[in-house]
Parts: sequence; structure tokens; C-alpha cells
Amino acid sequence: MIEVQLRKRLGDFQLDVSFRAGDETVVLFGHSGSGKSLTLVAVAGLMAPDEGRVVIDGQMVFDSENGISLPPQSRMVGYVPQQLALFPHLSAAHNIGYGLGHHPRVARERRVAELAEMLGLEGLLDRPPHKLSGGQQQRVALARALAPNPSLLLLDEPFSALDASIRRTLRRELIALRERLDLTILFVTHDLSEAYNLADRLVVYDEGSTIDEGPRRRVYAAPTSRRVAQLLEFTNIFSGVAEPGEGGGTIVAAQGLSLKTLATGLQPGQPVDVCIRPDYVLLVRSDRGAGPQNTHVRGRIVDESAHGSSYTLRFAIEGTDMQIEAELPVRPYEVLDVANQKEWWLGLRREDLHVMPAPGDRQAAPGG
Amino acid sequence: MASSRHPETRADTGSGSRQLPVAAVFSAPAALFAAFICLALGALIYRALTAEGFTARLDDEFTLDALWLSLWTSTLTLGIALLLGTPLAYLLARGSFPGKRIVDVLVDLPIVLPPTVAGVALLVAFGRRGVFGEYLDDAGVTLPFTTAAVILAQLFVATPFLIRSLKAGFESIDPTYEQVSATLGVSPLRTFFRVSLPLARPALIGGSILCWARAISELGATLIFAGNFSGRTQTMPLAIITAFESSRGLAGALALSVILLGVAFALLLALRFVLRSRDMYLA
Repeated sequence: MIEVQLRKRLGDFQLDVSFRAGDETVVLFGHSGSGKSLTLVAVAGLMAPDEGRVVIDGQMVFDSENGISLPPQSRMVGYVPQQLALFPHLSAAHNIGYGLGHHPRVARERRVAELAEMLGLEGLLDRPPHKLSGGQQQRVALARALAPNPSLLLLDEPFSALDASIRRTLRRELIALRERLDLTILFVTHDLSEAYNLADRLVVYDEGSTIDEGPRRRVYAAPTSRRVAQLLEFTNIFSGVAEPGEGGGTIVAAQGLSLKTLATGLQPGQPVDVCIRPDYVLLVRSDRGAGPQNTHVRGRIVDESAHGSSYTLRFAIEGTDMQIEAELPVRPYEVLDVANQKEWWLGLRREDLHVMPAPGDRQAAPGG
Repeated sequence: MASSRHPETRADTGSGSRQLPVAAVFSAPAALFAAFICLALGALIYRALTAEGFTARLDDEFTLDALWLSLWTSTLTLGIALLLGTPLAYLLARGSFPGKRIVDVLVDLPIVLPPTVAGVALLVAFGRRGVFGEYLDDAGVTLPFTTAAVILAQLFVATPFLIRSLKAGFESIDPTYEQVSATLGVSPLRTFFRVSLPLARPALIGGSILCWARAISELGATLIFAGNFSGRTQTMPLAIITAFESSRGLAGALALSVILLGVAFALLLALRFVLRSRDMYLA
């Protein structure tokens, strides 16, 4: 369990973060330089914030109001920095056992063996760090951090330097590990798919501040602001004005289009942003409709790029200066013969169009 | 050549016709300087070995006293320098305290200062009628013209070499190592001994060698502060000067010089060997 609320000024940079979580994996997601690593450093007690509070497992480890600031040694936090910082002069076993100095030798060796077994490091314990592969080094660093049985584990982009296949393996292992151990994990990454893959809870960072926080599905599907939507790779975001729709929904008049949404609680005339993920944009076959409750627009492909397993298609929408991006897996792309047909009807389902208050608009966030 | 387009393969072609031009350009001045050293030391050894009475010099009491004094004082100097200089080097590298910049410059000062100036300063400070020496004298402590003065002179001129090297060594350690150590519950002092010092090992070795070498070759400050008394303050460099100015002249200086050269070389090799061969993975 963790509760973090921190402010720290560093030159022109202002860190202002706030989030809380239970025994789950919390992913701090954002661009590099947005303050994610700094948050870990502050939570570990390696940097003193200007103000705020940090509570780990019910214990107040930092509280500026009451002058509490426990040293890192007393915080029971496992920390794996981005560069791992495995002690180069120590073997893997001595690295793992480094934080167990106060235990008797036998207990220490048993704990090292236990962690080695858990992380698949048997047979590698005598090696120095430079004789281990990247993935093995990663596991040793993880084992070293876990050895003293911390209640909180801080992982700073731990997999960023590894090959894609090793990353996938280690992510799976981390998820399995989380399920076995009673601890909170704070995981920093700037990779959205990694963030979604690992997170129970997602915290979105932008320029030093946390701008959205919640269960991963909620944050991923329903960002609270235009900026969050941009960071979460909603490539279709349009400004518009709310108008009452049939059946309680809202129609958003955006750049010459009337987009049907399920949003509620909006005032007529209220400025809003509406967004839809490119993979939710439907290509509608001419012999089938997408239902009258949804929005249909006609577009022409003006740009496309292939990613191997999918295509990104950019459509210019007829009668407007709007462009909509759609992402299509390879198989439907081929079946629909998109390569030879450039004019399409696009379907925007009303449940997939997410409405947010426009920046500067002070009214409460709408549902839907 | 295809391989020259790939930086990673180019680095492997250290020998043969595809050497980097830089090696060809640099080899001439490099060889010139190496030859300069070899010629001087070679001539020294050659003349000493062919001179008459060289072997007699080896068990001369005057020589042995000076040699022994040089060896033990310089080694003790290194020990004291390690004890006092290591904490200072660490604080200069990692700490923040008022006047840090000034201390940093002061520590470097003995390196650029002529040793004779150091000798005068020590005499003025700790001489019997010196600024502080007066009080020491009242307390019954006499420093100048004693073996203690030899060690103080060596400490003054040699310790900065150790501090300088160690400071650079500590600075080059990624602070993340020390941070991780702290999160693992290890106190700052234990972290110093378990992480910082082992990681600064190359700097420690290099600095120790420099410090010891500077101590054993110390002449100017010793001469002024400790004087030139056989068996008490006459170290090898002083003995060489004394021999050079005596009736024996160059011949006497020659023998002593080559002995000092041999011993210094042997010790340097031994030190490197001992420090390098220690187990890399400390428990």
C-alpha cells in the first residue's frame, strides 16, 4: 500500500505528483523527463521533496508538515535503478545478499538460494555482473532488491535496454512474481504497451505532474483530458461543442461533423474534446451499415503506413478539413482489399467516442 | 575495404597494414621519449656496474642506513596518507561543506609548490622557534631535525598526490551504487567500505604508488626541515647529494642512485602485483 503526495522544485522543473495504490502494480507512465524517475528517488528517500507526504504500508516515511523524513535505510523499499547498478566487484550471490548483512550467514545463504530459484538464477551465482546477460543482470538486480523482503518495489524502466523477446519474458515473470508476493510495485516506463501490459493501476505523468490516475482500463479507455488522450496515443482528437442528442446521449458538433456519443451531463454549447482510438475506427463495407445510432463519415485514404502486423490509414473526411486515422490489422486489410480501394465509409461507434471537457473549461468531467 | 565502414570491425584491426594513421603519426614522438628515459637510466646502470667499488657500496653502512630510512619512512608516510587522505578525498568528492573549494585548492598546492618552499614553511611552523613549534618545544616535543620531521616533510609533499587520485576515483563512481546500497539498509559508513572504496580501487592503487614514489624521492623539504644527519634524517636522495659533493664525487652518487633505482623499481612491481592479484570479489 502506498500514498504519495510530493512537490519539489528543481531549477525550472516543478514536480507535483499525487497518487495512491494498494498491493498492486502501479505504472508511472509518461515521456522521459516528466518526473517519473524523480518520484521513485523521492519515495526511496534518496532526494528530499520540498513538501508532501509518503506513506508506505501504513507507515509515514515522509511528512513535511510534521518534519518526518526517514532515511532510505529505514524505508523497506526495494529499488532497481534504470542502470541497475549491480556492484561490479561482487558476484551475483553477493549482490543478491548485499542487503542481508545483518542476518546470520546460513540464513543469508538460504535467502539467496531461494531468490535464485524463484528468478531462475541457479548456476549463475558465482559470476560477476559483467559475465551475465542483460536479462540475467536484470533478474539479479530484482533479486537483490527483493532479498530484504520490502513492502514496496521501485522499478525504473528496468527492461528498456533489453531485446523485445526478453522484455516479454521478464514482464510475464514480473506479473507472476507480483501475484506471489505481497507488495506494491511502482514501475516506470514510457512504453504504452508495456505500461498497459503490467499495470493494475496507471498514473499518467506530464511535465512533472500527474494528470490522470486510476485502474488501467479506465485511464486507457476514458482519459480525463486532451493531454492525457494524446499521451495515451489517441491519435484522433477533435474540438467541438456539446449538443443534446436522442436517448440521453450527446452530439458533439466538431469541424462540420455531428458525432453521436453516449456522454451525459454536458451543457448545450459547452466546449468539449472528443477522441477515438485509431483501432476503434471501423471500415464499413458498402453492403453493410454500422447501425443508425453511430456516426458515419466518408473518407479517402491520403496516407498509409505498414507496421507488419497492422496498417495505419489516414483518411481525409469528405466535406470537412478533418482527418481521421484508422488502424487495421493485416488480415482485414487484405480481405477488404484496402490496397486497391481508397474511398471508404468509416463507422465511429458512439460507445467508442470519448468526450472530455475542453482545456480551460472548468465544468466537471462528463460520463461516457 | 568493406570492413573500414564498420566501426566495430575497424577497432579489431590493431596490427597489419590497416592500422589507424594515428598510430603511425604518434609512434615517432612516443619512441623518442621512451628512448630518452631508457638512455638516461641505461647509462646510469651501465656506468654503475662497470665502476670500481660498486659492490663494496652495497654493504656500506652509510648506504644501508640511508636505504632503510628511505624505505620505512616512505612506507609509513603512505600509511598515514591513506588514513588521513582517504576521508579527505571522499569528502572533497562527495561531501558538501563550507570552504570546500578552498580546501580543494590548498590540497593541490604542495604539488605545484617547490619542495624547498615546503621545507621553509614547515620549519617556520614547527621549528623550535616556529609559530607553533614554540609551544611544542615547551611541551617537550621537538620536531625539526628528527626522523619525525622526515615523515612530516614527506607527508606534506606526497599526500596530495594520493588525495588527488582518490578524489577523481570517488568522483567517477556512479552515485547510484551508493543510493542502492542505502535502500538495502546499509549505513553510509558501511557503504563506503563495501562499495565506494572497492570501486575506487584503481585510483587507490595509482594514488598510493604516486604518493609512495613522491615520498621516497623527497629531497628539498627534508633537507631544510629535517636536515642531513646520517642514520637519522639522511634518506637516499640526501645521501646521493652528500656523496656527490664529497671527495668520491660522481662515483659515489652513481652507486647510490642505481641502488635506489633498483629498489624503487622492485617495490613498484611488487606493489602492483600485490594489489592487482587480490581477489576481485570481496565478500
